[in-house]
Amino acid sequence: MKREENDAFSRCHPAVGFTFFVGAIGLGAMIMHPAYIAASAVFAVTYYCLLKGARGMKLVALSIPLFLFLTFANPLVNHDGQRVLTYVFGKPYTFEALLYGMVIAGMLIAMILWAGCYNAVMTSDKFMTLFGGMIPTISMLLLMVLRLVPNMLRKIGQLAGARRCIGRGAAENATKKEQAADSLNVLSALMTWALEGGVITADSMKARGYGTERRSSFQIHTLTGQDICLLGTMGVLTVMIVRLIALGGTAANYTPIMEITPVTGRYVWGFAAYCAFLSLPTVLYIKEAVQWHISRSGI
Amino acid sequence: MAHFEIRDLSFTYASAKGRLSLDRVSFDVDKGQYLVLCGKSGSGKTTLLKQLKPVLSPAGKRSGEVLFNGVPVRQLSERDQAAKIGYVMQNPDDQIVTDKVWHELAFGLESLGCDQKTMRARVAEMACYFGIQDWFHRDVANLSGGQKQLLNLASIMAMQPEVLILDEPTSQLDPIAASDFLNTVRKINLELGTTVIITEHRLEDIFPHADRAVVMDGGRVIADDRPRNIGRLLYEQDNPMFTAMPTPVRVFYGSGGSGECPLTVRDGRSWLSEAFPAGAKVKSLPETKNPVEDNEPALIMKELWFRYEKDTPDIMRGVSAEVPTGSLYAIVGGNGAGKSTTLKAICGINRPYRGKIRIFGKPVEKYRSAELFSRCLAMLPQDPKSLFVKKTVREELEEMNSDKARVGEIAALCQVEPLLDSHPYDLSGGEQQRAALAKVLLTEPRLLLLDEPTKGIDSFFKETFAGILAELKAKGITIVMVSHDVEFCARYADMVSMFFDGQILTTDTPRRFFGSNSFYTTAANRMSRHVFTQAVTAEDVIALCRANREGEA
Repeated sequence: MKREENDAFSRCHPAVGFTFFVGAIGLGAMIMHPAYIAASAVFAVTYYCLLKGARGMKLVALSIPLFLFLTFANPLVNHDGQRVLTYVFGKPYTFEALLYGMVIAGMLIAMILWAGCYNAVMTSDKFMTLFGGMIPTISMLLLMVLRLVPNMLRKIGQLAGARRCIGRGAAENATKKEQAADSLNVLSALMTWALEGGVITADSMKARGYGTERRSSFQIHTLTGQDICLLGTMGVLTVMIVRLIALGGTAANYTPIMEITPVTGRYVWGFAAYCAFLSLPTVLYIKEAVQWHISRSGI
Repeated sequence: MAHFEIRDLSFTYASAKGRLSLDRVSFDVDKGQYLVLCGKSGSGKTTLLKQLKPVLSPAGKRSGEVLFNGVPVRQLSERDQAAKIGYVMQNPDDQIVTDKVWHELAFGLESLGCDQKTMRARVAEMACYFGIQDWFHRDVANLSGGQKQLLNLASIMAMQPEVLILDEPTSQLDPIAASDFLNTVRKINLELGTTVIITEHRLEDIFPHADRAVVMDGGRVIADDRPRNIGRLLYEQDNPMFTAMPTPVRVFYGSGGSGECPLTVRDGRSWLSEAFPAGAKVKSLPETKNPVEDNEPALIMKELWFRYEKDTPDIMRGVSAEVPTGSLYAIVGGNGAGKSTTLKAICGINRPYRGKIRIFGKPVEKYRSAELFSRCLAMLPQDPKSLFVKKTVREELEEMNSDKARVGEIAALCQVEPLLDSHPYDLSGGEQQRAALAKVLLTEPRLLLLDEPTKGIDSFFKETFAGILAELKAKGITIVMVSHDVEFCARYADMVSMFFDGQILTTDTPRRFFGSNSFYTTAANRMSRHVFTQAVTAEDVIALCRANREGEA
């Protein structure tokens, strides 16, 4: 079993996953407040590592130099700010610009990691179940096109292999021109092959009544009580966060004058809501792990 | 009551310049019947089947009519056609539309606009009935050929058709997957009462179960009877279709047997026991010296080890073999055992990480690629289509050799002269195989590798093909063939090797090889092993029956 399939959040209804990622990435892109960005990055790293295991560490480790580079590079191009730390090439290197760079870099990395999580959780078939129901014909078409690509690649391999075994095809010492001519041959064969296969697929679709009625869409995932509960929670939290943004609770300005709304005090509920929202997948994962641990020790 | 009534049906393809593909075909198919339609490639079987489901009928001129439940089938709504008449085609891959097993099962129901509840119930039912639940969530790309074809069948059955039409459904499958598939079809017919109309090459597996066999030739029905009686009709007509009959039938008529014709190996055994109650006097045919056995080896493989990726299991685990020059050397063995991988290793597509390959005495890595594949080694891939890149067969052949005289010679040898101006994709499976062989032969190989050359071709084409191979052998060409087709190997190969667990375990002449096996052997051997020893083909058994009878007389 792949790690992703072992994750409680991945096994939720696609609507839950989709809503979460729209929220996490959408809200994340709107808020420039350092505390919120730090929270987003922390939860993204945690969940990404839970999903991917040791393989996940690689991307996280790679993102550290990117983070440092962006942070320290920003003041080199952005000279605004009041607190000058030093002069580089005769230009001011300011604290505000440094902080701004850090915020931008943090946001970018959080977004990359959330996108990585999205890819692992929202597989193409989940996306299809979600939107296939709305526009069955177009989603069907999309699905067939997506299938075509790996099929073609497989066939190219087969054609090239077959040609090599009769001494045709690109030999090791072939000229560019010969190679191009051969690729053209393979390409035209591929087209004929695909068309031929397409005719059969079309027959097979017709034979199974494609286009006779308005298509319905088979839903492999069912919306469970937990899914509805999660959707409700996310809804409430999102409303709170949007309200917070509207009230200016996440306002942060860096250059020329640094003004950052404090997280504590008036707007502490907003920060709590944001953290609660982002921690949902991790919480689910841990909850399940703990449950298994308890039930196992009970046996 | 008749389910299908076919009345004087004639059909001409729009492109066929007036040549009739179906010529006044008339017969009825009863409800719940299991009907086998047999005939050579090009005898009009597929054309007839497509007339039974008008959405699939090609363009052309048609006369006569087809009634379905008493109503002309062309008047049926598309919805009824889809739901009531199920149609399974030959190619397992191209029939699949979606990317997931569950989605494919639901595809037909989605098309008919079924609601969630019905779809769920039907899909669940089908998955259980066909034993698909274990791979329900898999990607279709990761299924084996047999699983794909079973999925195609299941996704048709999910629509609960009254009639199931199957057009050579097992031609692309290995024998074990094929017999699984046919058993499932049989089960559907028995347990659900679904009418089955099937065309097949593999008559051994379905003749005993079928209620009725219809034989076609040149667009006409030439025989229509119970399977038990069909053999006699064809034998008396001296029809070439007789060679496609199951082994017991061929042995029975071939040796002039009397009484009821046996259809299965079991019946064949008891028939032989009765024919020779005191045991046979002549037990085996005189041993003939295999002329090629002691020839210099053309190919030596020595302890080859190979795996595809670093952390996957070994596919080849010490493969060793010596192939004598001028022989037809067959490698048999189960699916996915590594037979094709071995051929690719000989060609240098797969590089073994240990072991040596010598071709004509010279290590394969010492050959330059151009040198190896010209006048030395060539491989015919499993799917002949992967060799076709041009618009006509002639252009295909001339791509290999611009010498028109040589192209003509090879075309004559492979019997593709009448096909030279056709598009390679318009040929039948057997014709494609021969065209591809011609193309391969134009590299003038001395060592020819064949990967499943008899897959999907019928018994007549197999004989033609065997004739071509014999001619090549006579010219001193060494042939290594990988195959599932034990009957073909028993009849035509000089040496047979068993591939199992990444190794070549035993090698012997077909007679000794199949004669000493009791499961992995030919139908003729299984049928006659209690009376004769080392009779591995129908011809062997017939010869022995005759010899014994002459001895008595």
